[in-house]
Amino acid sequence: MSVRLENVRKKIWKFSPLYFMMLPGLAYLLINNYLPMYGITIAFKDINFAKGIWGSDWNGMQNFKFLFSSSDAYLITRNTILYNAAFIVIGMTVGVGTAILLNEIKNKLAVKFYQSALLLPYLISMVLVSYLVYSLLSVNVGFMNKTILPALGIDPISWYNEPKYWPFILVFVNLWKGIGFSCVVFLAAIIGINKEYYEAAMLDGASKWQQIRKITIPLITPIVIMMMMLSIGRIFYSDFGLFYQVPMNSGALFSTTNVIDTYVFRALMQLGDIGMSAAAGLYQSVVGFILVILSNYAVRKFSKDNALF
Amino acid sequence: MKTKIKMLSMLLIGSMLLLSACSSNNNSSDAGATSDSSESSEPAGKPTELTVAFPIFSAQPKDMTLIEDALNKITIEKINVKVKLMPISFSNWMQQTNLMFSSGEKLDLMPTISNYNQAVVQGQLIPLDELLEKHGQGITSALDPAFLDAARVKGTIYGVPTLHEMASVNGITMKKEIVEKYQIDTSKLQTIEDLEDVLKTVKAGEPNMAPLLPSTIGASILNDYKTFDELSNFLGVLPSFDNDLKVVNHFETEEYAEQLKLMRKWYEEGLILQDASTNQTNPLDLVKSNRGFAFLLSAHPAALSEGAAGGVPMKTVAFSQPAVSTTSQITNTMWGITVNSKAPEKAMEFLNLMYSDKDIANVLIWGIEGKHYVVQSGNVIDFPEGVDASNSGYYLNAGWLFGNQFLSYVWNGTDPDLWEKVKAFNASATKSKALGFTFDPTPVKTEAAAIGNVITQYRLPLETGSVDPDKVLPKFIENLKAAGIDKVIAEKQKQLDEWTKAKQ
Repeated sequence: MSVRLENVRKKIWKFSPLYFMMLPGLAYLLINNYLPMYGITIAFKDINFAKGIWGSDWNGMQNFKFLFSSSDAYLITRNTILYNAAFIVIGMTVGVGTAILLNEIKNKLAVKFYQSALLLPYLISMVLVSYLVYSLLSVNVGFMNKTILPALGIDPISWYNEPKYWPFILVFVNLWKGIGFSCVVFLAAIIGINKEYYEAAMLDGASKWQQIRKITIPLITPIVIMMMMLSIGRIFYSDFGLFYQVPMNSGALFSTTNVIDTYVFRALMQLGDIGMSAAAGLYQSVVGFILVILSNYAVRKFSKDNALF
Repeated sequence: MKTKIKMLSMLLIGSMLLLSACSSNNNSSDAGATSDSSESSEPAGKPTELTVAFPIFSAQPKDMTLIEDALNKITIEKINVKVKLMPISFSNWMQQTNLMFSSGEKLDLMPTISNYNQAVVQGQLIPLDELLEKHGQGITSALDPAFLDAARVKGTIYGVPTLHEMASVNGITMKKEIVEKYQIDTSKLQTIEDLEDVLKTVKAGEPNMAPLLPSTIGASILNDYKTFDELSNFLGVLPSFDNDLKVVNHFETEEYAEQLKLMRKWYEEGLILQDASTNQTNPLDLVKSNRGFAFLLSAHPAALSEGAAGGVPMKTVAFSQPAVSTTSQITNTMWGITVNSKAPEKAMEFLNLMYSDKDIANVLIWGIEGKHYVVQSGNVIDFPEGVDASNSGYYLNAGWLFGNQFLSYVWNGTDPDLWEKVKAFNASATKSKALGFTFDPTPVKTEAAAIGNVITQYRLPLETGSVDPDKVLPKFIENLKAAGIDKVIAEKQKQLDEWTKAKQ
């Protein structure tokens, strides 16, 4: 017992410079991420500024009720999860695919060009994206209605009033915007793979397809899983800009564009009740946390090495 | 190591002390100087510092310190108060003021912009009755008692309405150039239905122009067309501003269904902007760029006097209905003293000056004479030479925001008798039977949140005619009921009954 304690003490002493270096980071984490967490109490309070946050009355789960009371509760939850699931699956597949393709291009200049071109949308604000989409889909002056559809002999479509097209539009916009970033991450992982594997494979007469399947993909699986876990943790959040700005807040589209974030925003815009917004945020993060733990557990089950923790 | 940290912290504490000592020194010398200069004024000692926040709708004005100095010259002498102005961009207004409340930051006075009731419910403002009696004679004499009473929440006043148009009448504003081109007889426009012929004429003559536009960005065509008292939030209204104080669901009324049918008809005939439900452009900009002709608005004297709104000459016509005052019109801009205030009495004294002192009103509203404006004749002012809206150091153009704009000058191009007209208009307006009633949504906030979503989902498409009301309106009503509108209406009726009883 005492020997072990002695060991621990020795270890701490040995690594003390490292611990010391950790201090600023820890302090940052504590001040920025943990201290504000006392705000969680707001979710359970009937906020009154005259009494202050601590002094306000507790009101139990009252603030959470509005999330589940309406008929929209099912709709927004379904939309949020399905969209995010689609984004994760499609985003990952296309991201990995593009990264592999980029890796195969031998002309350095061309690679740089494609990469920047792909990354550019990622850097554009959602508000601008929404106007780019608008210039395509506007009823009066949109490129689709004015040029493409007439050329194909199809009647103009009132895009912002027809919910059925929006799952495709939103998935496409999200892909177009996000692909550059995920592709860069995967490309970095691919470049990190030791070239000797490929040389050996080529000597054995492996085709390009075989190399990709047997070398590239298995070796970048950890990164893919990590990226996936991170997105699963945020599956209850949605890109507010994408779901609010891009459909131009059009009421007719709510059946396919309303997600938890936009619902909360719209519900509380007029009420301005910070207790209820805190409740919504807490609900999202708790569910996200549980999902991360569960998916990590699932990953652990069938491949321990790839689990995050 | 330990000693090093100790030394470091000592150094820090030392420097802090030094800094605070410096600043307090400054203060006292300041106070000394002022008391020297204003020997005659009776309130001696250090002036009380007040922080006054207000929203601005343009870029941050450059000359804030000059404005503060000009203000302080008056206020230190009169009430021994030093004012610190805190202009906050309107887009951050709610967030920033909420933050100031939750962190207990120094803030004495602020206006509530369309969220008076919420601010009261959340305890942001303090009761003013006693303070008004003690220090607020200027305010009580400037305001019609009925309007001040409209500020009562459960019998207590928490805010003072600014003096502006306290009533409105439904009307339409049209591009003057087009009105003249087609020789439109505006006297014939008595009701909203009369618009049809005008819109058709414009449609036929100007194919690229949308005849009728939404009232503002993100609003419907009918947004500003009110034949009912919305009783704070549209969920349960008083039709015809009376209805014997019986609250009904506006969206279920026959009248609403008729209006929607009209909108649908106009939309299908191309008389309404086709993008109306997703429009993101200010209607005035659409008019300016020849893409739109007219939009409905709540008209009042400032609008009816033929002005050039945003640089486009417009012709505004009021429909032949009486102008009506409702609580929301009065409580949309209310000055209140915040719970954070350490000196509520002084704050009230300053508020009183805002309502009664001509110089203070002019400094706050228009800035400094000779620098930000010059008097042209009488009470009409304009920019000094070489100054315009883009380079002026203080041009907020938001007189309605600062207490009593009736004390201030009017800008060149506006009717010099504007304030007299507004006063007469306010006095002549019919008062809604529920004037003074404010709905407190807290007991039904779960429902209100759900209903808020239903409203955004359906109201805009329906009221712009973008969807077929025969199919969609029943769904809208059904969803409202599912979200609990009946409960909200019952609660509102209950509060209204209590209010009526308390009034008698």
